[in-house]
Amino acid sequence: MEGLVRFLTHLAILTEIYGILALTLNFQFGLTGLANFGHVVFFMLGAYTSTILLLVAHCSFPVALLGAIIVSGIFGFLISIPTSHLKSDYWAISTLAFAEIVRKVFYNENWIVGGGYYRGGAYGIAGIPAPLDHYFSSGMYPFFYLAVTSFFLLAIYLLLEKLTQSPFGRALKGIREEEVLSEALGKDVAVFKMKAMSISGALAGVAGSLYASYMGFVGPDQFMPLVTFVVWAMIVVGGTGSNRGALLGALVIQVFYSSTRYLKDYIPIGADRLASIRMVIIGVLIILTILFMREGLVEEKKKHYKL
Amino acid sequence: MLTLKNICKSFGGSVALSDVSLEVEAKSITGLVGPNGSGKTTLFNIISGIYAKDKGQIEFNGENIDRLSPSKRAKRGLSRTFQVSKAPEKMTVLENMLLAGKNKTGESISGTLFRWRQTSGIEKRNLRNALKLLKLVKLEHLANEYAGNLSGGQKKLLSLVRVLMTDAELILLDEPTAGVNPSLTRELLNTIEELRKEGKTFLIIEHNMKVITAICDKVYVLDFGKNLAEGSPQDIQQDERVLRAYLSGKG
Amino acid sequence: MNLIQIIIDSLIRASILCTLGIGLTTVYDILKFANFAHVELAVAAAYIGFFFNVTLGWNIFISAIIAIILTGLMGIVFDQTIFKRLRSVNPVITMIASFGLAIALRNGFRAIWGPRPKTFAIGLQKPILFLGARITMVQILLLGITVASIIILHLFLHRTKLGKSLRATSDNPNLAQARGISTETTIKWTWFIAGALAGLAGILYGLETQIEPDMGFALIIPVFCATILGGLGNPYGAMLGALALGLAENFGIYFNFGQIINLGGLLHLIGPLWIPTAYKSTIAFSILIIILLARPRGILGRKIRKE
Repeated sequence: MEGLVRFLTHLAILTEIYGILALTLNFQFGLTGLANFGHVVFFMLGAYTSTILLLVAHCSFPVALLGAIIVSGIFGFLISIPTSHLKSDYWAISTLAFAEIVRKVFYNENWIVGGGYYRGGAYGIAGIPAPLDHYFSSGMYPFFYLAVTSFFLLAIYLLLEKLTQSPFGRALKGIREEEVLSEALGKDVAVFKMKAMSISGALAGVAGSLYASYMGFVGPDQFMPLVTFVVWAMIVVGGTGSNRGALLGALVIQVFYSSTRYLKDYIPIGADRLASIRMVIIGVLIILTILFMREGLVEEKKKHYKL
Repeated sequence: MLTLKNICKSFGGSVALSDVSLEVEAKSITGLVGPNGSGKTTLFNIISGIYAKDKGQIEFNGENIDRLSPSKRAKRGLSRTFQVSKAPEKMTVLENMLLAGKNKTGESISGTLFRWRQTSGIEKRNLRNALKLLKLVKLEHLANEYAGNLSGGQKKLLSLVRVLMTDAELILLDEPTAGVNPSLTRELLNTIEELRKEGKTFLIIEHNMKVITAICDKVYVLDFGKNLAEGSPQDIQQDERVLRAYLSGKG
Repeated sequence: MNLIQIIIDSLIRASILCTLGIGLTTVYDILKFANFAHVELAVAAAYIGFFFNVTLGWNIFISAIIAIILTGLMGIVFDQTIFKRLRSVNPVITMIASFGLAIALRNGFRAIWGPRPKTFAIGLQKPILFLGARITMVQILLLGITVASIIILHLFLHRTKLGKSLRATSDNPNLAQARGISTETTIKWTWFIAGALAGLAGILYGLETQIEPDMGFALIIPVFCATILGGLGNPYGAMLGALALGLAENFGIYFNFGQIINLGGLLHLIGPLWIPTAYKSTIAFSILIIILLARPRGILGRKIRKE
């Protein structure tokens, strides 16, 4: 029973962290129409920034979190600059390339954390302190952390929902649907895209920071393009038109992912093979959803005004 | 209000516009006619900023608007509709209208998050205006309907009232009556006249000469991307060159 | 640092990228979407070839030919089952579907054949000395086959009826259809040729190095880079881009950027500045981003208007 509760708490925390990634990617693609194939870069930058601030500058967790938000937000802004003159598929490819370059930098540069106990580089950085861990027993701590991630997930959900339902969100939707028209109606498309990418990038950094402090360890292998694929599966299956869909997708995919990991003790297939089959199913799920259930599990709701 | 001097535009090897000049006076209704392919929509695209001109000058309210993006021109009061109505399928008629409405506070992140009362105040006002305009063209019963479900003619009407939400001073209309039934066309033209009395200026591309004759003060005729003639609707209808251009197969 | 060796390495790299790039760029031209699963067809051919050559023990040439034909057919199958239903949809959605297909394929290979690299049964290759550089028979074969394929492709496009109808459809699909050229047949042939070329690249790459499940992912960005550099949609652009990228990658690490900044020795602003070998793989990524920022249409591409 204890083990099950522990597992479920772990699953919940991971789901919530991925939920933040799904919500932010959905804001970019589902609402604004920006197909970002390098979303993992915000996760990575948030995690590493938070880690460096905690371990090198010995900051407190709130400061590290703030640093993660700022750095990810800046990169969100940078990535958005080419969107005004690049077609969407070209931009998607460039985001993929960009995320890989950043990952390579973290892979190669082990001076970033200054050697010693924290080997850095390809080996990753360990020993990341968890916030307020001395206040709780090791048995109770996961529940505390679950409360922390739940708080941030809720806050980010409410924030993005508010933005989606506002005139700002409406402008983004207009840009997604008819960019030329929106421009002709006075919406500065480039600026809106920059704002959308900056804020969603910044919020995705929160996920990175929470992840780093939870796992206690970050390494370049945790931020492979695989992560981006999984988040895409979440928003496609959940439904790109809605924030609730993104959360549902995160839950569905994460449960599927983790339950099969749990299954490995019961099915006589090697762990690696099982992991691969898992990903095959995810790939197939993306295809099937696009072919047969384009709207995903949760459709975009019609905005009804009381007359 | 709007002055175009010697506008030239080519695409690759083919010349779309060659030395086109025209002048639109404030509070006037000016027509732009010509056979298919004479460059009318291309000219609109250059005026609104979607295409960059190769040569020539564009002045709006005395200001050279060459370097301004389409959205900046729209913010300065220059709005347009499109020949093939662009109506986001997944947005309702009201959302379309509100999209066009100005809400600077609501469209900023800080405004949405912190200035609630101001945002909703402006939104309510835009909503009232939108409904008023929709009533004008008898579309108010479709307010909460997806724009994608409208007929072609209804989309044209939506485009017209939507552009009015932008508070534009100069409004470019690209074939506003195409696909609209005659009685509604009459309403539409009345609306345009009313708006002119309120101080708005119009530049209209039309194929329907009855419409042109009914409301335009002045008409420019284009053929093969060049100025062919200009004058009152009566003048150009009797102009030999214009008749020849229309009869020579391309119209 | 042997100049001939660097040139040989560049040409070999260029050959692989070129063979992959031609198929990718042609599919983009006719169907207007970036197919992320294209490189996985190359991997498929390598594994299929491995199956016949090593598992069944057949002759390498026969195995290769079977593999190439099968991947050509796979191209058609994927189109008929997946992409055909997405013809009128936003190309970004199609791209995401191809993304899902790529994930499914890549992990499928991994699930079936495992993560360890495999090699064809051709025996150890003893390098021949040529002007001070080393080159193996396999590499000579690779270069020769690539050149031959380019020539055959060129003749096909310009001398045969089918080739000319392919070019007509690419230039102006409506006109081509009006003149009686069946679009669907053209599309099927395009997929077959693209798939077969990808298969050829996969076999050659597998012969020259090894076969592993992630080889597709390692190639996808360089292939996109080469095709975009040369101009997406133009097979000759793909050749040009592949050559340029091959040279850039191999000469790049020997290029002393310090000399440029110091204006060839006139100034003494900084010391020698090399691209670290560890970052060799990022050369392609970086060039891609630079091209997309500066001149998205590439060298031979048509001017890309955003609407």
